[in-house]
Amino acid sequence: MLAKTSPEIGGMGHPIKRKEDLRFIQGKGNYIDDVQLPGMVYGHMVRSPYAHARITAIRTEEAKKLPGVLAVITGEDLAKANLAWMPTLFHDKQMVLATGKVLFQSQEVAFVVAEDRYTAADAAELVEVDYEELPVLVDPHKAQDTDAPILRDDREEKSNLIFHWEVGDRAATEQHMKSAPVTALVKAFFPRCHPAPLETCGCVMDFNSATGKLTAWITSQAPHAHRTVFALVAGLPEQNIRVISPDIGGGFGNKVPVYPGYVCAAVAALTIGRPVKWIETRSENLQSTGFARDYHMEAELAADTDGRVRALRVKTLADHGAFNAAAQPTKFPAGLFSICTGSYDFSQAFCEVDGVYTNKAPGGIAYRCSFRVTEAAYLIERAMDVLAQELKLDPAELRRRNFIPPEKFPYPSPLGWSYDSGNYQGALELALEKIGYDELRKEQAEKLKRGELMGIGISSFTEIVGAGPSHTFDILGLKMFDSAELRVHPTGKAIMRMGTKSQGQGHETTYAQIVAQELGIPAADVAIEEGDTDTAPYGLGTYASRSTPTSGAAAALAARKVREKARKIAAHLLEVSEEDLEWEPGKFSVKGAPGKSKTIQEIAFAAYTNFPQGMEPGMEAVHYYDPPNLTFPFGTYVAVVDIDKGTGEVKVRRFVAVDDCGNIINPMIVEGQVHGGLTEGLAIAFMQEISYDESGNVQGGTFMDYLVPTAVETPSWETGNTCTPSPHHPFGAKGVGESPNVGSPAAFVNAVVDALSHLGVKHIDMPLSPWKIWQILKEKGVTQ
Amino acid sequence: MAIKIEKNFQAPESAAEVWKILSDPRSVASCVPGAQVTEAVDDRTYKGVIKVKLGPTVTDYKGEAHIERLDDQNREIELIGKGQDVRGKGSASMKMIGMVRELPAGGSEVVTISELNVVGILAQMGNRMIQEVANQMFEQFSKNLRQRLQQQASGAAGSAVPEEVKPIDAGSVAASAVLGLFKSKPKE
Amino acid sequence: MTSKRAVDITVKVNGKEHSAAVEPRLLLVHFIREYLGLTGTHIGCDTTNCGACTVLLDGRAVKSCTLFAVQANGRELRTIEGVGNTSALHPLQEGFKEKHGLQCGFCTPGMIMSACALLEKKPHPTEEDIRWGISGNLCRCTGYQNIVKAVQYAAEKMSASAPQA
Repeated sequence: MLAKTSPEIGGMGHPIKRKEDLRFIQGKGNYIDDVQLPGMVYGHMVRSPYAHARITAIRTEEAKKLPGVLAVITGEDLAKANLAWMPTLFHDKQMVLATGKVLFQSQEVAFVVAEDRYTAADAAELVEVDYEELPVLVDPHKAQDTDAPILRDDREEKSNLIFHWEVGDRAATEQHMKSAPVTALVKAFFPRCHPAPLETCGCVMDFNSATGKLTAWITSQAPHAHRTVFALVAGLPEQNIRVISPDIGGGFGNKVPVYPGYVCAAVAALTIGRPVKWIETRSENLQSTGFARDYHMEAELAADTDGRVRALRVKTLADHGAFNAAAQPTKFPAGLFSICTGSYDFSQAFCEVDGVYTNKAPGGIAYRCSFRVTEAAYLIERAMDVLAQELKLDPAELRRRNFIPPEKFPYPSPLGWSYDSGNYQGALELALEKIGYDELRKEQAEKLKRGELMGIGISSFTEIVGAGPSHTFDILGLKMFDSAELRVHPTGKAIMRMGTKSQGQGHETTYAQIVAQELGIPAADVAIEEGDTDTAPYGLGTYASRSTPTSGAAAALAARKVREKARKIAAHLLEVSEEDLEWEPGKFSVKGAPGKSKTIQEIAFAAYTNFPQGMEPGMEAVHYYDPPNLTFPFGTYVAVVDIDKGTGEVKVRRFVAVDDCGNIINPMIVEGQVHGGLTEGLAIAFMQEISYDESGNVQGGTFMDYLVPTAVETPSWETGNTCTPSPHHPFGAKGVGESPNVGSPAAFVNAVVDALSHLGVKHIDMPLSPWKIWQILKEKGVTQ
Repeated sequence: MAIKIEKNFQAPESAAEVWKILSDPRSVASCVPGAQVTEAVDDRTYKGVIKVKLGPTVTDYKGEAHIERLDDQNREIELIGKGQDVRGKGSASMKMIGMVRELPAGGSEVVTISELNVVGILAQMGNRMIQEVANQMFEQFSKNLRQRLQQQASGAAGSAVPEEVKPIDAGSVAASAVLGLFKSKPKE
Repeated sequence: MTSKRAVDITVKVNGKEHSAAVEPRLLLVHFIREYLGLTGTHIGCDTTNCGACTVLLDGRAVKSCTLFAVQANGRELRTIEGVGNTSALHPLQEGFKEKHGLQCGFCTPGMIMSACALLEKKPHPTEEDIRWGISGNLCRCTGYQNIVKAVQYAAEKMSASAPQA
């Protein structure tokens, strides 16, 4: 049980206001584009208009002649330094600047550096490239056809197949498929989408030739990993590289990879000898940086007549674009997709995934989710609804009958995971109560009689986050532990540095609250620093909801180390033995003599002025935490929608989100995260897609077409919590930033299908645009 | 991105008069805004350039047009053109069928059916933008063609060297495309 | 910077006059961020959709990425830096902090400027008014719910006391 701290201390559970807000509300944040260095110059990327073409010539003379232009770098130039290619985060390599050919529209072809942005852009227009168009492959289903163009001639194996992966028991699953009385099949496509954080990616590269040090300001969610990658790729000694991730305007996974722009800017900085800034435009961001999803999935369930599921069979085609730049640290090429058995107790399961290359931007990254978990959650939640429809069972009831019961935890899933804890029933019941489920079903039945379309969709998802235990996780070999370094000052204030990197998650507040909880030092007195690799302890960054499970744990354990030392000092000051002391947040008191006590502040002062003989002075600790397991946050979301028969527009009338992320540090921040994630899920379900036409032209490459919901489209979200702590986490927390994006798409789609199921509709692929819905209504003869 | 465009216009001149111009690629090219024939490879194949401006973006396409079919009797011409932007911003290809029909009340009607395929920067602007550019280009083309017909009718000497007609400034195209989107405003 | 300076402009920014010689095609947002060093105004897109660059020009909320600096000549500009500071926060700034109306902070300056303009026109906005009033500003982090609460907080505070400039 967690001790309760006072609001002044602000430990776990207190909704204290955020400490970082003060600079942001005054416009005094320090984002990458705000960085101004003396003599700084600007880079601009020349990009390919073709999805697949051979480069026969690049002419840079005209561009170089323009006054103010300092350099024009091509793939050939980089090749001389062995930098034309770089490793991706998943066992592949990608071109930094194109050599030989281009593989997707908007691919980087040349890098222009000039005195100011405008000149750099002008010069980029003057670079001439001769292309020989090649046949384009945009349909992943055709990637393995005998006449498909082979995209990667740099690979030994001349094939567009990247990997084939299998997990589970195929034979046993097949058996169930054959023998079960009921089967249900769903083919669900999760469209290619893009995290589109409001701040695009960029960097400022500053090389000091006198000291040999490269300072790299980067929009990076994982500054240490970036530093090590730079050291390995560029051959620069790692102690001479300093990566600084200052304030970041949203990440959502988009800022995990190392992008060609960073490498080009670094090369330019080294050769020109002036700091080089490169900030991409929104179009560049949407068209060339880490996309997400693009999974063509098929799930088949085998069940008994009462709806009790037996087995799950999944087949997926993964479209990775031109390079497998999947930013994911597991050994498995499809990440944690094998969580697709979800919250349900299956006896058997089998899953296979094929990854292929196409002429599209490379990826995919984990967009506000753990790796491939959104795809998995979407698939199983859709499949359960399809089964419910098949059996004419209420979808809530079907779920009840199949939830993994609390007593089965830690639960070994048929695809190899050990779920730490869960109470799916509890989350479902709370969500149904909050939404008023029974009344809504009555209302729906009444509306149906009048031909009005109303739907209710449930999603009871399970997430798997907190990457990750060293036995299963690494990024380019680096294990996925994380860290915290805590130092308490003589006046009892503290500073803690972490290996993670907030892009808006509120770490400056929440980590301080962990220290407040463990040591009783008020959160307001604890400064938190992240993002400077020269000072922060090594960590693997923030994404996939891993900060609280990993660095948060490290913070708690570091604080406990400090507390142990504090106990010794307190014993010394109070002239008693350690066993005679009791702890409450903020002070040690002598048992039975509460007047005799020392506050943590007094103890901190003593650590520098009056420590016991033989003790090392100071008061600090470092902890590197290798999580023993992942954590499994979960929840139930319920969406209520009304469909306009005249326009096909879907209005989300209500949405209840019940999340269980174990013990909560700051409920205000958790609620904010849920609001944001649900809004992203809404966007994906109804209005977003990055698609390509048959020539490989990007459709949806700007905010004109790739739609982000405004305050008008976004409904009010209702949130709630249950609390099922993680048994293996130091303070029972699980992480929650991404659950809403993971669980919500299925809730929206389930609701819309529910509204149309009486017309025989079983499934509709996202995005559920009004046009798409209207066409279905027209086909069924029910438009107004 | 493949776009189908069907356009037609009427002219007071006879079908024969119109066909004289329509069947001669150099004359046709002289009516297309921003186009210039640079070389006649043979009597069916011509090399040329065409400049398209969309706001600040200028695309200079360089390519080839080939007459697939020339039917003097039925007054039908089928042209296939393909060009690449000289700086490498993209490519475009077009198949066009042009027909001239005598109108019963006098004069003639020109019908063009084109299939346009654009790859590259312009294609990202979307279907509607390209449609608008094509619309504007055809408007200008038909204006120029009518002018030519009048010149021809009044006996003015056709230029031996085709004049370079000013390219469409599609910046105004962009504006009209956007306005077109908002023509039917939703209820407030 | 290159020496392609062609046009002299004078703009009153947050109450102070600034003169500069600028290229005609210099965007107002770049003038604000780079010539004036006021980096609170942000750039989030290239198609005038996101509103991160919102400032007040002669009191009207405008997207500074879609205006040229020369268009601001002789006019008055107000940016986030002119709204309030640590010792005297504007009620909107207070509201955003109190109601957790921001997470990464990138959309925040633009949101506050739009909300400023909204509250000038509608000092007692309904929730719908607020949502429409900030519909030109995109946010990826908050889902807007707490932003609405922040603006409501400010509206209440501002109508309770004398309205701030």
